[in-house]
Amino acid sequence: MSILLDADARVLIVGITGKFGTFSVKDLAQSHTKVVAGVATGRSGQTIEGVPVFSSVAAAIEETRANAALVYVPAVVALDAVLETIEAGCPLVAYPGDGLPVLDAMEMRAAALDHGAHLVGPNSPGLISPGKAKLGFMPSFCYAPGPIGVISRSGSLSYEACFRLSSAGLGQTSVIGIGGDPVRGVNAAEAIALFHDDPETRAIIYLGEIGGSEEYAVAEYAKRSDAKPSAALLVGRTAPAGKKMGHAAAMIGSYAETWMAKVEALDRAGVVIARDLDGLASAAASALARAMKPAA
Amino acid sequence: MLVTEAQGKALLRSAAIATPPSQELRSLDEARACRLALPVAVKAQVSAGGRGKAGGIRKANSAAELETAFDAIVGMRFAGEAPSSVLVESWLDIERELYLAVAIDSRVGGFNVLYSPRGGVNIEDGPPPLSYPVGLARNFRAHAFRALLEPVESDPKVRERVISTARRLLEIAQANECTTVEINPLVVAKDGALIAADAKIVLDEAAAFRKGATASAIAASRDKAERDIRLCEEANLMLVWLDGEIGLISGGAGMTMAAMDAIDGAGAQPACFLDVSGKPTPAGFGLAFDLLDRAPNVKGILVSMFGGGLHTDRVAKTLVELLARRTSAKPVTLRLNGTRSDLATTILREAGRQNHATLETAVADIVKRVAGAQS
Repeated sequence: MSILLDADARVLIVGITGKFGTFSVKDLAQSHTKVVAGVATGRSGQTIEGVPVFSSVAAAIEETRANAALVYVPAVVALDAVLETIEAGCPLVAYPGDGLPVLDAMEMRAAALDHGAHLVGPNSPGLISPGKAKLGFMPSFCYAPGPIGVISRSGSLSYEACFRLSSAGLGQTSVIGIGGDPVRGVNAAEAIALFHDDPETRAIIYLGEIGGSEEYAVAEYAKRSDAKPSAALLVGRTAPAGKKMGHAAAMIGSYAETWMAKVEALDRAGVVIARDLDGLASAAASALARAMKPAA
Repeated sequence: MLVTEAQGKALLRSAAIATPPSQELRSLDEARACRLALPVAVKAQVSAGGRGKAGGIRKANSAAELETAFDAIVGMRFAGEAPSSVLVESWLDIERELYLAVAIDSRVGGFNVLYSPRGGVNIEDGPPPLSYPVGLARNFRAHAFRALLEPVESDPKVRERVISTARRLLEIAQANECTTVEINPLVVAKDGALIAADAKIVLDEAAAFRKGATASAIAASRDKAERDIRLCEEANLMLVWLDGEIGLISGGAGMTMAAMDAIDGAGAQPACFLDVSGKPTPAGFGLAFDLLDRAPNVKGILVSMFGGGLHTDRVAKTLVELLARRTSAKPVTLRLNGTRSDLATTILREAGRQNHATLETAVADIVKRVAGAQS
């Protein structure tokens, strides 16, 4: 199993004629993901790399039964494109773009919740279920199938972290980029709930950073008596307060947003802490070892 | 971005939230001509925090004291920032200080309303404020907020005024695309009225494409920014200067922070957060090396890139050409891993340079070389 995305995924790319859209058609095909349709206004009837193009999401879904969408449009038109996709009934939508106004992210999140859809993003590489399907632009060579569920606020960190996990023989059920912005679709708590319910996920790895409060949701989960074992790597131990470290949400505004406060909360809750990227694979292995131990 | 108190208060007044009688001054002549009733508060207008503790807020009891305070404040710097103006306000008769804010909260997935019956400068030391998770501004419900307020705020008049002020703060946040609208302190005057004695308003920079006011505020702050920061913003690089000695050039926000932490783990300190993933080209790397080679505190440079979509062989070619032309003697350590890193290693080897296989060996190498050069 995996979360949200499996080998049955029929992917639709909104903005398929753009640079990212066209790149993704080829890239997804290489990772054995079925791309069944593209959407580009006014380009209905054309094909891109053999994929039929429609001028609306509703038409694309009706013709192709697409059930997962990757939306590659600029921030200025992103809200409209994502709302169209959600309202056309697509149950899984990834919006990887960055620079999205927070109010738009809030509206997207609310629309997804209203329609029972899952939105991944903004400011995220998307979602991958290694060996099954990919809904995003992460580099496929970093991933391998296996029993670990990975949640990450950072794209670049998730690539290298998963590359190290895969190299250490620790494959993944799914890897979800929840994104670097303050308001997101699927958040840490929701991603954890999905991994909790996935029988093949034996342990959960959380890749977080300074700023915001998502890490406390991970700590709350870890305290549950039925929680799956988890490990976490947080970055930004050396980041100063009051400065935005690349991501919109990676800024320390209060003590609770510091590396130290979050690591203490996670540690107290029983999450295995990797102090550095170097310690991630062993932290993940020890979380997995806990999962393999028969219940006393 | 954080706007000044004077700009923030103008936004509050646009929603009919009371602020003290005030005047914004830009020259000593304007200070001399100020006719506000004394005493007054004289306040530096900067976007840096902690100005009160740094002496940027003073009380003046006479016209002479006002002039002195104005003169002193315009000469001060707050975290390197010169005040853009000085705000003079009538001194308030304070019955009580409250705290009221609306702010984006990631776990709420939208706006959170925060309230404390004990506001003021030491708000962080007290118990955490009451939190009312609203989400979308249109989901604010007075009755829901009232139910939460009742155990915390015993004065029913204050309670009702706080509720109506909270709704207005949400309207300001929605209409102006703000991520934070905070009033601390929100003063209860002797007559029971609520007056915003301070304003901290953060505009969402991502909304600048449809908010003229935000776009001009960003442009104004860029004009004032240090040259290095401005050059990086224009080139689509992300730079934050830090206090250490290891110049770091990396890709992606999370990996750049991970590399900073690895440098700390190896017993040294990073000199910067510098993410070149927005422009991993000769121009981008050229600017990055130019800044780090000039910075006196930078004793050595680590380039660490993990290629996903990025082809590391292209980066290797760029670096070989750039380093051949470079005149600085600061040591440089390279680590290019990921997509096409075998080719990158070959290109670097042919140019007489080593490609480190992991972040950890690269960090250890640059830390050792910098320590060796300094001993």
